[in-house]
Amino acid sequence: MSRTAITATKPAATVRTSGSRFSVAKPLIYIVLGILLVTQLYPLLWLFLYSFKTNDEILSGSFFSLPSVWQIENYSAAIESGNYWRYLGNSLFVTSITMASVIVLAALAAFAITRFRWKYGQLVLLLFLLGMMIPLQSTLLPLMIIFKNMDILNTHLSLILPYIAFQTPISVFILSGFMKAIPHEIEESAIIDGAGVFRIFRSIILPISVPPIVTVCILTFINIWNEYILAATFISSEKLKTLPFGVNSFVSQYSVNYGAIGAFLVLGALPVIVIYFLLSERITKGMVAGAVKG
Amino acid sequence: MNVLKVSKWTIAAFVLPCVLLYVGLVFVPILVSVYSAMLDWNGIGASTFVRLDNFKYMLTSDTVFWPAVGRTFLLAGFSMLIQLPLALFVSILISRYVRKPNFLVSSYFLPVILSVVVIGQLWKTIYNPGSMGGMINQILETIGLESWTHSWLTEPKIAIFAIIVVGLWQYLGYHILIQFTGVQNIPADIYEAAKIDGADGFKADRYITLPMIIPIFKISVVLSFIGSLQSFDLIMVMTGGGPGNATDVIASHMYKMSILSQKFGYGSAIATFLVAVCLIATVIINFLFNRLDKKYT
Repeated sequence: MSRTAITATKPAATVRTSGSRFSVAKPLIYIVLGILLVTQLYPLLWLFLYSFKTNDEILSGSFFSLPSVWQIENYSAAIESGNYWRYLGNSLFVTSITMASVIVLAALAAFAITRFRWKYGQLVLLLFLLGMMIPLQSTLLPLMIIFKNMDILNTHLSLILPYIAFQTPISVFILSGFMKAIPHEIEESAIIDGAGVFRIFRSIILPISVPPIVTVCILTFINIWNEYILAATFISSEKLKTLPFGVNSFVSQYSVNYGAIGAFLVLGALPVIVIYFLLSERITKGMVAGAVKG
Repeated sequence: MNVLKVSKWTIAAFVLPCVLLYVGLVFVPILVSVYSAMLDWNGIGASTFVRLDNFKYMLTSDTVFWPAVGRTFLLAGFSMLIQLPLALFVSILISRYVRKPNFLVSSYFLPVILSVVVIGQLWKTIYNPGSMGGMINQILETIGLESWTHSWLTEPKIAIFAIIVVGLWQYLGYHILIQFTGVQNIPADIYEAAKIDGADGFKADRYITLPMIIPIFKISVVLSFIGSLQSFDLIMVMTGGGPGNATDVIASHMYKMSILSQKFGYGSAIATFLVAVCLIATVIINFLFNRLDKKYT
């Protein structure tokens, strides 16, 4: 729970490398770590190469080879036959609305829980804690019935609403953990200056809370961007499909051109991979924070 | 003491939007689910109240149910006995022998952030027969182990293990990251002090790293257990529970019963069972680790 657990301090490693009797073991250890690196990354690299090969090359049994001619056509075939841009747009839309709503709602709640003088703050926090233990799949069926009655099944709203709800517990937890530690003198002086509650929230607490908000953004992005089951259950229109759902239905239906399937999978993974390359340290820190708080 | 004294209305304005949405979309559905578990209902027409009949059928007559429960625990067992110890071992190695660990840790982590659809479809392709471009079978053929080739996802006895491998592969990096962060946060001066007392290398790991990593290890255990209970998106993508029901777990069985077969009452009974197992498991894991923690601190 403590925040020291997230920010890795100076590595303990430097002190411990000195033991000379491990010098024999050292190459062995690098080999072990190297093999693991290959098993973790090679399937992804394999997919990348696969996506540039012709059917003949794929079927010929050369699991470890570069494409003789890089078939960029696979990508154009994939983009032409699947609605890649539409899926991407839908995912962007759903994820960004969810993200914005989660931040606003969770920040408001966390602010009230940690900074207002009232009795039930901890109780509300407990309510959210309880929710983190509930397997979300079990809400699938009742939600479907509820949404059917509300007549919003097969709309983006039927995804966004549960997405927001599922992301709130962890977000409230992360934000309130941070806000609790802000010194109270800040509000005292703000009140003397005549600032109202909302003003204090917007102009003081929110700007200070940028680091945990970034964490919340990352967790929400990774979870919602990749979500498949809800989308596959609640959405049926082709034009509303999100990226994971769209990729899955394309790949399951399109079976002539192996390379194009590979290309579509690469395209499906690409947005997250690009973001991971740009922000890998923030993302890993955010995911640890999410795990540790949860 | 909090300084902001505000009216009830202000509190409501800050807290209610979040709480209402959350309660309405998480707690209310769970309650609805517990109630509909006692109905014989196909979701559209009239429903009859059948009390605990659905649960009785689930526990005694449903031939798919218990094997699915077994496979769910198989998933959890493999994760805890292979994935987590391996992750801990690797994190200790990294923190001791690798000077710039960031590249390594973030590379291990890469599969974690990919969508289950990409992972599932990628591995489906990897498991394909060699003549359809499947990597594993092609490797086996190349090194002369043709007798080892399998149709990994369609042979009932093998399919679930093929899926377990994918689960272990995808989330190994997550557990490495979590435990590596934990190992890094053990203060260096403890190791220095231990070294003076003659505890070095793996001896230091036995008496310092292992006890001090317990709270972080608990997080991994909870994540892996809850993850195994809930994990069915991978199964839906890769096999849909098939061949037959050979790869069904609790959650996929629930999904197939309720969403695909429209047996809403019965599906809700399985969903209720899933919630109960999750809650009980979380309590038990916490209890065990609290005792373990007390023993060592």
